[in-house]
Amino acid sequence: MTSKNETGPLNAPTLSKEKASSPLSEAWTKFRANHSAMVGLFVLVLIMLGAIVGPLLYPTDPFELVWRPFSPPGADGFLLGTDYIGRDLVAQMLVGARVSLVVGVAAAIVTILIGVAVGALAGFYRGWVEEILMRITEFFQVLPTLLFSMVIVALFGASLLMITLAIGIVSWPAVARITRAEFLRIRELEYVTASRAAGATPAKLMLKVILPNALPPIIVQAALMTGSAILFEAGLSFLGLTDPNVMSWGQIIGSNREFILQSAYTVTIPGIAIFVAVLAIALVGDGLNDALNPKLRQR
Amino acid sequence: MELRRRTFIGAMMASTMLVRAGMAQETPTKGGTLIISQADGTPRVLNPAVQSGTGTGLPGTKLFATPLRFDENWNPQPYLAEAWEVSEDGLQVTLHLRENATFHDGVPITSDDVAFSIDVIKNNHPFKTMLAPVTSVDTPDPLTAVINLEHPHPTLILAMSGPLMSIIPKHIYGDGQDLKTHPRNSEDVVGSGPFKLVEFQRDEHIILERYDGYWEDHLPHLDRIVIRILPESSGRTIAMENGELQLTAFESEPTVIQQLQKADGVTITNDGYGGIGPIDWLAMNTTRGPLQDKRVRQAIAYAIDKNFILNALLFGTAKDARTGIHPDSPFYNPDVPTYEFDLDKAAALLDEAGFPLKDGKRFELNIELPGFPGYRSRTEYVKAALAKVGIEVTVRSYPDFASWADVMGKMEFDLAWDNVYNWGDPVIGVHRTFISSNIGNGVWSNTQGYSNPKVDEILALAANENDQAKRKALYDEFQAIVAEDLPLYPVNATPLYTAYSDNVGGLPKGIWSVLDPMDGAYLKA
Repeated sequence: MTSKNETGPLNAPTLSKEKASSPLSEAWTKFRANHSAMVGLFVLVLIMLGAIVGPLLYPTDPFELVWRPFSPPGADGFLLGTDYIGRDLVAQMLVGARVSLVVGVAAAIVTILIGVAVGALAGFYRGWVEEILMRITEFFQVLPTLLFSMVIVALFGASLLMITLAIGIVSWPAVARITRAEFLRIRELEYVTASRAAGATPAKLMLKVILPNALPPIIVQAALMTGSAILFEAGLSFLGLTDPNVMSWGQIIGSNREFILQSAYTVTIPGIAIFVAVLAIALVGDGLNDALNPKLRQR
Repeated sequence: MELRRRTFIGAMMASTMLVRAGMAQETPTKGGTLIISQADGTPRVLNPAVQSGTGTGLPGTKLFATPLRFDENWNPQPYLAEAWEVSEDGLQVTLHLRENATFHDGVPITSDDVAFSIDVIKNNHPFKTMLAPVTSVDTPDPLTAVINLEHPHPTLILAMSGPLMSIIPKHIYGDGQDLKTHPRNSEDVVGSGPFKLVEFQRDEHIILERYDGYWEDHLPHLDRIVIRILPESSGRTIAMENGELQLTAFESEPTVIQQLQKADGVTITNDGYGGIGPIDWLAMNTTRGPLQDKRVRQAIAYAIDKNFILNALLFGTAKDARTGIHPDSPFYNPDVPTYEFDLDKAAALLDEAGFPLKDGKRFELNIELPGFPGYRSRTEYVKAALAKVGIEVTVRSYPDFASWADVMGKMEFDLAWDNVYNWGDPVIGVHRTFISSNIGNGVWSNTQGYSNPKVDEILALAANENDQAKRKALYDEFQAIVAEDLPLYPVNATPLYTAYSDNVGGLPKGIWSVLDPMDGAYLKA
């Protein structure tokens, strides 16, 4: 994933320079033409709608004992059935979607914030700053991510905030490397030199001059990161590193895991949801990559 | 010395024969290697005189002999001591050691070693109440040890069996080094039991070999016992299924138990765990908030469907436990107040206690999810079940045992699932939970802050009562009071199972499961 994004811009075909439309609408046109990306987007919007309005339309408490345990999907008026202690799986899935998506997006934001900060400083200042920051990045990159995040959660407690931060902390090196590569390339462009000559401060150069033009691959990375953060959260929940008071898709799998032989559906349903959501996000991410990257050539 | 009871050698021989006969329907084969699992991970040391727990007890009970052993009916049987007697006033217990017993280096086992071992255990073993009344041990001759007691101490007989009173050689351990950290606790172990140590590889295995100088010439039957350290239950199950492992004990995960029940050529049993006696209960901190009121605690018990926990969450693998004493113990009293699932009763009790329902809620409590596995489903169930009666429960989880134990020890909890072991006699493993002098004394003390002078009084009497029937009556009364006061809601005996291949015979039938010398175990031809 990383290397593809790093080398992508360089290998992208040269596009014609005459374009009347704005870069954004041009990207949208390209994105719309990508069928798989559009399917991904459609599914993602559906999931988000379910997460946002679902719990309002279906107000059952996901922690409430509503019926006998292990009632299979469709039976007794419970669309997805009940879990091992008799809680409604529809309610759990809807609330769980919220939590899983929020964790995914929040962890992606943490990743981007750390990664961009490190990558931008390293790529802009170069020299010893770059040396130190990139060695730190490499250090984080070689740590086994799942294990490292487990240690963080185990040390600081399994709250949703901690889990989000842990995912962010183990995932930022890829973003840092991409950002640095972009900064290294862009900082040598003439318009940057012009800004510098006009007296722009380093902060202004980084944030206002270089960063906007480095954004496309970072946006793609953020989208992909959201998907992998959802997977990550599910993995940690499965291992029991989760806040038991918050219902997420991973939590549903984790708490029903013991009873998988009695009721495979309680684990399968959230499993499919995670698969579909992550796939949709990956398709959208790929679409964004195709739509945004060629623009870099134009500048 | 006036003798109340004398166990004669003849009678003793007969009973030993009976026990052995019961174990072996066929002629045991000699030789062979038995491979068993150690589920507890690598034990810190192999010497049970300074360390409690099943991890040390499993190899330790084969390496070191104890004065007595216990049969499945909780009757003491001779082991290193051929006979024993308790004086009329209960203040002296005399052991008559067998003549031809030697340590693994060939040095005879004498009363001096017994006196030394008792002193070491009293000063180093974590079970302080076990030998607390012992004032001194006299050694009138090399084969007679007289244990002097401050007051009658019925616990002593049981405390001379299983993993509780390993006889260790004075000429090895009496060199002045600190016993807790003595290097010979794990290396070059010179034991007194039927098997000697060959190799101890941390995280790998412990290899034990037949001690040829064992006092019974034809025992042990096995040449070797290999204890494989396999902390992962899935690894043990697979090894049992494909025959790499012939015995696995202390299996407690319901799904694993079910899987082992289905395995071909494997027998599985929960017999023999009365001595260890683990119980799962919902601890309630009687010193905090609404839980100070007995009616609130009773309401919580009524709101929890015990049958659901036993049948649905534990798949029927666990026995019902109604008190702090294990259901297999001779002191267990099942005729105590019980709390059949009844939400109306629960609601009525909460109303009465002054916690009316307001906007669907009465009050909030925390529940601690233990830092060891196996309690997640029950914790989630309690949260959901108590919501039904308007108690909002927040689950607090812990990444490891230490941080959970810290919170429990400091009594900074409201509700918590706990798992506490009886260790044979109530004085060792039951009193600690209920006596007021042991409140907040670390994990597995009286962490509920329960204080009832009547209970203190009964337990003090029971600890001194040598008459078994009178002692039983005292414990019956104690269990009834506690089931009413409910500082904790006992739910089930922790499921513990032993699974073994059909070609293994002569397995121990006592109260200590595989924490037994296993000198009678053999492989079928």
